Amino acid sequence: MSWANLAGLLWFLPLGALIVALYLLKMRRRDVKVPAKFLWPERVDEVRANSLFQKLKPSWLLFLQLLALLMIVFAFARPQFLERALGGSVTVLVLDSSASMQATDVAPTRMGAAIAQIDRLLANAKPGDRVALVEAGPTPRVLASLSDDPAKLRRALEKARPTDAEADVGEALRLAAGITRKERSARILLFSDGAFAPIEDFQPGTAELAFVQIGDSGRNVGIAGFGVTGGQAFVGIKNYGLDEATGTASLFADGKLIDSWAWKAGADQTVGRTIPRVKGQRFEAKLQTGDHLKADDQATALSDEGARIRALLVSRGNLFLERALSLDPRVELEKTTSVPTTGAWDLIVYDGIPEADLSARAVLTFGAPGPTSAVRRVGSVKEPSTGEVEGDPLTKGVNFRGVYIDSGTAVEPKSGAKTVAWMRGSGKNYPLVVTSRTGGVRRAFVAFEPLKSDFPLQVGFPVFVGNALNELLPPLSSLQDLPIVPGRTISLPATKSEPMTLKGPQGESVLTPNRGVFVIRDAVRVGTYTFGDRKLFATLRSPIESKILPSDRLQVAGKAVEPAANLARLSDLWVWIAILGLLVLGVEWWMFARRS
Amino acid sequence: MELRLSPEELRILEGMRLAPRRVFRGGVRGERLTKQKGLSIEFADHRDYAEGDDLRHLDWNALARLQTPLIKTYQDEEDLAVYLLVDRSASMEFGEPTKRVVATRLALAFGYIALLGQDAAIPGTLPLDPAGLKPLRGRAGYPRLLKWAELELAKPATSKGLAPSLKDFAASGNRPGVAIVISDGLDPDAETQFRVLGGRGHEVWWVQVLSPEEIDPDLEGDLRLLDAETGAAVDVTANSFALKAYKENLKAHNERLSEAVRRVGGRSMLFVTNDSMAAWLRGPGKRAGWAA
Repeated sequence: MSWANLAGLLWFLPLGALIVALYLLKMRRRDVKVPAKFLWPERVDEVRANSLFQKLKPSWLLFLQLLALLMIVFAFARPQFLERALGGSVTVLVLDSSASMQATDVAPTRMGAAIAQIDRLLANAKPGDRVALVEAGPTPRVLASLSDDPAKLRRALEKARPTDAEADVGEALRLAAGITRKERSARILLFSDGAFAPIEDFQPGTAELAFVQIGDSGRNVGIAGFGVTGGQAFVGIKNYGLDEATGTASLFADGKLIDSWAWKAGADQTVGRTIPRVKGQRFEAKLQTGDHLKADDQATALSDEGARIRALLVSRGNLFLERALSLDPRVELEKTTSVPTTGAWDLIVYDGIPEADLSARAVLTFGAPGPTSAVRRVGSVKEPSTGEVEGDPLTKGVNFRGVYIDSGTAVEPKSGAKTVAWMRGSGKNYPLVVTSRTGGVRRAFVAFEPLKSDFPLQVGFPVFVGNALNELLPPLSSLQDLPIVPGRTISLPATKSEPMTLKGPQGESVLTPNRGVFVIRDAVRVGTYTFGDRKLFATLRSPIESKILPSDRLQVAGKAVEPAANLARLSDLWVWIAILGLLVLGVEWWMFARRS
Repeated sequence: MELRLSPEELRILEGMRLAPRRVFRGGVRGERLTKQKGLSIEFADHRDYAEGDDLRHLDWNALARLQTPLIKTYQDEEDLAVYLLVDRSASMEFGEPTKRVVATRLALAFGYIALLGQDAAIPGTLPLDPAGLKPLRGRAGYPRLLKWAELELAKPATSKGLAPSLKDFAASGNRPGVAIVISDGLDPDAETQFRVLGGRGHEVWWVQVLSPEEIDPDLEGDLRLLDAETGAAVDVTANSFALKAYKENLKAHNERLSEAVRRVGGRSMLFVTNDSMAAWLRGPGKRAGWAA
């Protein structure tokens, strides 16, 4: 407790002394003659005084008056206490629901503790406090728009769901900033452990961003690498904590235990083990250790080589392309802004950067042909019109007609290349999409950069990327079981148009196909999902989420975000104390009236 | 308030007769039966019949001739000594009208009944007048009784309390009779003296005269109460607690005195100064058997 006006307490001394002095005054009584004195009790309740002086006698009235004075002086000194409460009239509460928030270093989990804190804040909300709730999961969502109804907000808070996925906290904060954009002053409170990808682009606007740190321990060990290739399995175990960790690991092949071993790892150390001569279709690795995060203690790998596409995106930055590629559950995407000198991938995607001679099973090039491309550059075309599409699986479901292209690359196909779509500019037709297969490498060329057109905004864009992956590499439909990343939106080809049920660790959901694909967004927990005849194995492999040591200081868009120590606000007690003082005065008056 | 009894009050009193519980030995002829046996009965006079008279003494011949009931009186019937003792202490000066005026009027009323009943009405005050007590008899004694009342009322109140005055009366050696003590009884020692008085053969009738202000005092604030008789003082904050305690003390004191009177074969009754005497005589007084 603190005092806004501590010096005010000093008023008690002179005022208290004045009251006591009044009680030192002696009563001058009125003489009244009565027939018989002996009938009257000698009862003296002096409530008035008009003469000097007498010995101070104990009196309830004196006690009550001093008590009332004490309370009024206390109220004048304005005692305050820290209260967990909302700090502004408009507050957006952003709740991190990522995998690291499922750590159990605080009971029941970090997310549970954060929800409890938010619940207390909502309970302490003052009339006029408007609050919105945003869940920062893999796909951020608004749980409740701005409202001053705590009951409604608390009901909305119950809809928050935990995930074993990476959270897009940046997008969640941008969503929160959007909510507060029209407010003159607002506050965004992020409830998180700080375990999320760096946020480069965020403008809070008029809102003040504060960070409520959740969690107190970094003790976690996770499976950092797990793969089966060439008849041998590799398991990498990483200790993300600050202290040495020990435990046992087990490897299962098609549900049968084939190996188990003890391991020991120092702080930030990775220990690996290669198990030769393994046979089976589905392999599972499990850790037994006393860490705080269980989601990364198991992993599933499939022996089918086609179940995994190592893809490299060479781009100066293209979120649309990243998202479209990630829709294929097989894709493990790497990104780079410059062409690497060495390396081997299943697929390389060049986005406006000329194709180079690298080892790859398939190449998809946008805008800039290279020496190994299926086309040769002949110039450029300003604002070409599009529309001519050949019947080809690559362009199935894609409508180029109406796509606006700011500038395209005029190319001519090399021998063996096939043009599947055309564009027209400067009075001539030029190839728009060209495919080829040379030297066992499948190639596709698109004659413009996506970001120099509105193609990424069209529904056909992810369809085109999906088609390219299926045409350049073995099609997704050929695979029965798939490893997936929890929380990642994926699309699966639909063989029929009826809805199908996705059964997983968090329950069931019914999905309806759209344009021949099922879009799955609900696989947010680690574990096995059943979708028709397919099995999807969700494995968390995220160093960001596995490193659960809470950050006490965040950097958002290059600016430090202070922990919300001032989340607690000073709450004045003086009103209540003053009311209490008045009540005591009322009691004193009542006693005075009775005695008088 | 007029000291003299009103014609209406006198008319009510004329039909009444004192009804003592005991039989006393008389001094001169009267209408009360004597305890002494074997005495000859000699006719003395006639008087009007009054309710309660012994029908054996009704003169049937006179009734037949005159159509008026007359009672025969006899020489050896004894009279009853009725002491009318009015408290003259300072505490009797309270109330409006004062308790002393009301007490004197009550003495007149009881005296009038006694005179009509051929009893010896012996007026006196407490404390006793040094001149002593002189009995009055017959209707003709009423003017003298009234004169006595006027003279006594003109005298100042005394600081002597009820208890010593009663003690003096008990020790005075007067023949036993009905001692009607008309007083407020506000003396803590009166209880003992009532017992002493009864022990001396008197039938004690105590009429307690109180003013409404004494029954429900209208006092407020911080006061110093001075006793009217002793001058002693007590500091009192006259609040609800003090008033409640006063009323409880008064009630307990009155009950003690009444019980003391009852124990010596007497009777007591409260008369509030604003009561109507006529109503009191016809109602409570008659019901309690004070007069027939």
